[in-house]
Amino acid sequence: MAREFQRGHKARISDLTAGTDLYVGVQISGPGLTFDISCFGLDADERLSDDRYFIFYNQPKSPEESIQLLGAQAGDTESFRVTLDRIPQQIRKLSFTATLDGAGQMSQIGPGYIRIVAGGEEVARYPFSGPEFSTERAVMLGDFYFKDVWRFAAVGQGFDGGLDALLRNFGGEVAEEEPAAPQQQPQAGAAAPGFAPPAQATAPPAFGAPGGAPTPAPAATPAPAPAPVPPPAPAPAPQPAAQGFAPPPGATPPQVHTAPTIVAPLNTPPGGSPVLPPAPAPAPYGQPGHQPPPYGRTAPPPPGYAQPQAPAPPPGYGQPMPPPGYGHQPPPGQLPGQQAPYGAPQGAPQGAPHGAPQGPGVLGALQQFKETPTGQRWTQQNKKLVRVDLGIGGQPVLARQGSMVLYQGKVDFSYKGAGFSGRIVGNATGQEMQLMRCTGQGQVFFAENSTMLHPIELQGDAVCVSAENVLAFDEGLQYEVRRIEGHGIPGGALFTMQFQGTGTIVVKTHGIPVVLPVTPTTFADCNAVVAWSAASQVVVSSQVRMRRNSYPGDTGESVNLQFRGAPGNFIVVQPYEI
Amino acid sequence: MNQPLAGYAPAPVAARMENHGNHMAKIAMQTGNDLLARVGSMVAYEGFVQYEPNPPAVRQIAKDWLTGEGAPLMKCSGDGLLYLADYGANVVVINLNGDGISVNATNLLAFDAHLTWGVERVKGLAKFAGQGLWNTRISGQGWVALTSRGKPIVVDCGGGDDETYVDPDALVAWSPNLKVKGKRSFRAQSLIGRGSGEAYQMAFSGQGIVVVQPSEDSTDRLRVRG
Repeated sequence: MAREFQRGHKARISDLTAGTDLYVGVQISGPGLTFDISCFGLDADERLSDDRYFIFYNQPKSPEESIQLLGAQAGDTESFRVTLDRIPQQIRKLSFTATLDGAGQMSQIGPGYIRIVAGGEEVARYPFSGPEFSTERAVMLGDFYFKDVWRFAAVGQGFDGGLDALLRNFGGEVAEEEPAAPQQQPQAGAAAPGFAPPAQATAPPAFGAPGGAPTPAPAATPAPAPAPVPPPAPAPAPQPAAQGFAPPPGATPPQVHTAPTIVAPLNTPPGGSPVLPPAPAPAPYGQPGHQPPPYGRTAPPPPGYAQPQAPAPPPGYGQPMPPPGYGHQPPPGQLPGQQAPYGAPQGAPQGAPHGAPQGPGVLGALQQFKETPTGQRWTQQNKKLVRVDLGIGGQPVLARQGSMVLYQGKVDFSYKGAGFSGRIVGNATGQEMQLMRCTGQGQVFFAENSTMLHPIELQGDAVCVSAENVLAFDEGLQYEVRRIEGHGIPGGALFTMQFQGTGTIVVKTHGIPVVLPVTPTTFADCNAVVAWSAASQVVVSSQVRMRRNSYPGDTGESVNLQFRGAPGNFIVVQPYEI
Repeated sequence: MNQPLAGYAPAPVAARMENHGNHMAKIAMQTGNDLLARVGSMVAYEGFVQYEPNPPAVRQIAKDWLTGEGAPLMKCSGDGLLYLADYGANVVVINLNGDGISVNATNLLAFDAHLTWGVERVKGLAKFAGQGLWNTRISGQGWVALTSRGKPIVVDCGGGDDETYVDPDALVAWSPNLKVKGKRSFRAQSLIGRGSGEAYQMAFSGQGIVVVQPSEDSTDRLRVRG
């Protein structure tokens, strides 16, 4: 189950997954915008002291391949593979960043995310969207950082100046001193189709030269520049590659540039989705030196368990380290010599595994369960509790009897009868609601039996809900019993409640429901369906043969409901058959 | 084989009590730092932990408990890791740090034995017979684990004269300095068998918080199922 991060949240990787071979996917997009997504491997001082750990489209992997750029795949704009236990000692932080290429600003981006996938399963996701940013041109999305253990932090911090500001933040002076280094962009369409930046006029060097401003480099040596580069910035090749953010000019870059096969085929789908890499060169994906595993071609195991040379131990536990946190403590019988005994807190205080920051004291511990204040009439407090503010809107609320768990203010609860005809109908159809009327001024909290609650706001439209799934609703709604006819139904017909008008109805379900759009072939078990939009037409389809039904005890799936309707209609089905 | 389960290994110990998931408490036991836990709540332990049901010290304090059958608490001592759960209820772990809290009987899971605690009866409210209404007031420097059927919610009572009314079946815990009284919402109609379903509530007033669970199931499963 993926854990959703908010900006500023932090967690230990070991709390998210036991694996250390992670897939990091970034999805970011905006109309007309192009992004460069890169990963900075920083040292303990948060400096980019070794530019071989600036992983971007021109340098798709670190020397020992602990960080690799995989390209766009599986819905992600860019993706990385990070093998935490192979990251060298001096690299203490990986910062994943996205920078705008060309015009634009970060506020224009659509909803995006950075996510961590381990073992084919998404374990963490930090969603972000344009309104969180303004005129920034770069944004730090998330960090892996090492503090006792590897941790993940959702950062979401923008940088006004774009990539050069980001570079200065990480390594500062370099951008000024050596502005010209890496201009070997394949601008003339030289090579490298797999990762060529969009051939815009000033294909901004994603590194080095600040913002394309042609700082007059020591232009004396326009020496063996690889491509016909615009005049001011040929790579001063003889100059010792001091600390460029590019691969040191001279030896390495051609290799990266002219060998697109190294880069292109790393389109390993996470979890083995059948996207075949375009150019199936033997990608040195796993351990170098071993025979190249056919990773990404033959239904690969999910990234994270793919060490090709780990045969014996069960995967998942097969990481060289034992499951974190487990083997670290001495066995209980042992004398507490080398490590702290059981009770002693180790390391930084860490919250509950679900990530709640926990302060001391009753209030601190309970902070995460605080009431959420809003000014609306109906507020969902958590998945199983809903609050109505009777003072807003002024109309009473009808609720299932006994569903109030708490109220504040002056609220009166009274019996709500169905009336004579209502009782007759209710008795006959089973669509009977034991209701109470809540009037007055104040807030009432409703819940029942830990079922999940779903407030549905009706604005003149109608919804059909089975009576036993109604928890509460505004009194202004009209409701009536509706009959669904069909052959083969025990008792001759099915009944449901139809609510109509303007107001909110709270529907309860056992477990997390599924909401299906109504298509030409939408069926549901009549015992599990909770609600549907009233505009869809219901047809009973009995698909079970009489012969099977005639055996005693075999009920089978006797009555299915088929739903038809225009697009936009939906049905709600719970994982629980009454 | 264990691949899908690998993510559920316990995290390293960082505190005396922690959540393992939402429904289990993990307690780091040490000699000399005993724990009082509900009888039957242990689901697993590692190390050397011993259990003593109905210890004399508890009997002394808890003699007010209406049940004649002894206190439903056991003393756990030893070294190791202890895992507690209550039939899938949410577990909330609190570091009291000098605060106090009053916990409904069925919602108390465990607490440090060195905490100051006592059993009190809620005045003016005789709850249903057979269930026994007692609540435990705990304070001091230490840890408490509560259970809640479903994710609880914490409501601030506001501090004024306004009262907050809670269904007793949904009540989990409250600040001990709140004033408590029972409220009956009888009306004439109720007497002829057509009540609103909310026969009476507990009214809290003063400065503090009330913790409520989203369920009116207050059966004590540890006791019922034994």
